[in-house]
Amino acid sequence: MSSSSPTEPQIDVAVLEEAATIEDSKAAERALGEVQARRGGGGWVTLAWGLPGFVWLAFYLVAPLVFIILVSFWTRTDTGFDRVWTFSNYGDLLHPFSLDNSYWKNMLTSFETSVIAVAACLVFGFPVAYFLALKVQKLQNQIALFIIALAPFWTSFLTRSVAWAYPLMGREGALNQFLLKLHIVNEPVSAFGFSTLSVRLAMIQLYILFMVTPLFFLLGQVDRYALEAARDLGGNWFQTFREVILPQTMPGIVIGSIFIFVLTMGEYGTVTVIGQGAVSSVGTYIQQQVLGIQYPQGAASAVLLVIALLLGVFVITRFANLREEL
Amino acid sequence: MPEDVARSSTVGAAEAAPTVPSESGLDLINLTKDFPGGTIAVDDVNLHVDHGEYVVLLGPSGCGKTTTLRMIGGHEIPSGGDIVLDGQSLVDLPPHRRPTTTVFQHFALFPHRSVLDNVAFGLKMERVPREERRRRAMEALEMVGLTELSQRKPRALSGGQQQRVALARVLVTKPKALLLDEPLGDLDRLLQLRMRVELRNLQRQLGLMFIHVTHNQEEALSMADRIVVMNEARIQQVADPLTIATKPATELVARFMGDNNIIRGKIVERVGDRVVVVDEHGVKASVMAPGDTRKVGDTTLVSIRAVAVRIDEGGTPNGVNTAECEIVFVEFLGDLVKLHLAVGGERRLAKVAGDQYPTLRGREGERVRIAWEEEDVQLLSD
Repeated sequence: MSSSSPTEPQIDVAVLEEAATIEDSKAAERALGEVQARRGGGGWVTLAWGLPGFVWLAFYLVAPLVFIILVSFWTRTDTGFDRVWTFSNYGDLLHPFSLDNSYWKNMLTSFETSVIAVAACLVFGFPVAYFLALKVQKLQNQIALFIIALAPFWTSFLTRSVAWAYPLMGREGALNQFLLKLHIVNEPVSAFGFSTLSVRLAMIQLYILFMVTPLFFLLGQVDRYALEAARDLGGNWFQTFREVILPQTMPGIVIGSIFIFVLTMGEYGTVTVIGQGAVSSVGTYIQQQVLGIQYPQGAASAVLLVIALLLGVFVITRFANLREEL
Repeated sequence: MPEDVARSSTVGAAEAAPTVPSESGLDLINLTKDFPGGTIAVDDVNLHVDHGEYVVLLGPSGCGKTTTLRMIGGHEIPSGGDIVLDGQSLVDLPPHRRPTTTVFQHFALFPHRSVLDNVAFGLKMERVPREERRRRAMEALEMVGLTELSQRKPRALSGGQQQRVALARVLVTKPKALLLDEPLGDLDRLLQLRMRVELRNLQRQLGLMFIHVTHNQEEALSMADRIVVMNEARIQQVADPLTIATKPATELVARFMGDNNIIRGKIVERVGDRVVVVDEHGVKASVMAPGDTRKVGDTTLVSIRAVAVRIDEGGTPNGVNTAECEIVFVEFLGDLVKLHLAVGGERRLAKVAGDQYPTLRGREGERVRIAWEEEDVQLLSD
């Protein structure tokens, strides 16, 4: 028998064409399956499963919101409110439309705080997530470092806030002592005390994880070979980052920004503990009104805050739709 | 045997001398890569590849073929040696400065970009104006027959289509050398066969240097101008597919290519270039070995292809290039029959035409005489 015997199957073009057609129709099927999955049709079981959640949401979220909206349109009295419809609560808040009005002043300060917090969390959080997801090679190390990074979640909020307010940041705090020892400053920096700066620094530290977490998970899903491919196709580090990494992490940036914006804009705990009465925000303003039994005004302030938050979230989500331009 | 065998003659690892870089083509010179921890992935590899040549790096996993390819592309930094393309060293250039592009395993498409945007990526990096890069990307898509799908996302494509997008994406940047890392590994078998033909046709059309890494012997044989067989970080043999298939240079190549009968024996006779080897079961094989320096009494290995072995019922016993065996198993594969045989305790293999199956069926346990021709015997170097 000669060595030229056919050891290889003959390549039959018709069979191959058919194979390709089958492959293509598989892809089409997959696409169709996704469409059907999106249409849902989960039916009664899903509904039954979801019911406790709906009830819970209705009772604890929707009902209070409805009450707040109602109260904000009722007339205030010295002991609470009468069920007499009025716009005056909103009128009082909105009418003297100047920055002297403490509500608007607080609103602006809180907004500024939120914008700073979102921006700082993004700028400082991205490298952390990037390092964890793309530079740490071993999965175990990744998880270990991530849990360490999650420390703010599993240490008590109050413990950290108290530590911030007195021993670390205060006028006699460690930071000031340190700067004095090094002769960087000659007298304690009062801005590290009960100040807006302190509050903002604390918030960045408290909320940065809301940015790191979604970014870490999205960056972890970026195909490393695709990054190599981008480099291979002529992209330098910055181009690869802008064209390949950033678009794929945009949903994480948006989610993180929404979390941080909403949480810091309405913040009241951190402001109270770290600011020690020297700093105010929309949150502390509303709390003061509630303490002063000014329920209708407090309610109106809260409703305006919710509207401001919704507007902010709406603006942030616009970024997710940024189309990749060729 | 074709004439071009002379040019790409068999080169054992021991004989590979350091090359002087040429003005044209790619040269790997004493290329070495060791990883921290003492693993040597690539050990002193020397190779020249011409423009327009289709070279396949073939070997088992972990043999260093992928690391070699990644060093050429700039994705691994060599520990020693040089990579020279058209007289210019590439070693100090990052991947994006090299005139090479890689088709990565699993395609590595950008999931958030449309097919067209994926293909146009390299041009965007070169800051080619928008209109021109769209036009050139469409041309590249036309080349792989995917113009209608240009607006789809990679997720909505089949494996074969994704593979073609990956090809179009690298071709659009007009590289001097295309590096392919297991390019057909993710496709199912029928599609693999089809893409082999497509890839090879595309390479011929473009006249580009393709360096293709695979562990699939059949793929290498069917596609390559030249095959570089690697094992344990070293080149075992560099030759055209026919030579690799019929004249393996080393035991490793003979075993890796599969279906070779390897006989270990002593040289008992040497007349001119003709050497006779006999194994411990008395099987004699003769081979022409011009230039070989081994003497009578030396132990050596010879290899005989399974397809070169025939059934020779009427042959003379105890002759040269013949043996009596027991049939262990008759395996029918349609086009051919694989006869699993045993001589003494050693396994032997014969592949005969499928139409002989009726006369072989059910003969397990019987004895049969096999024979082969002297020119089908290959003396292996150590």
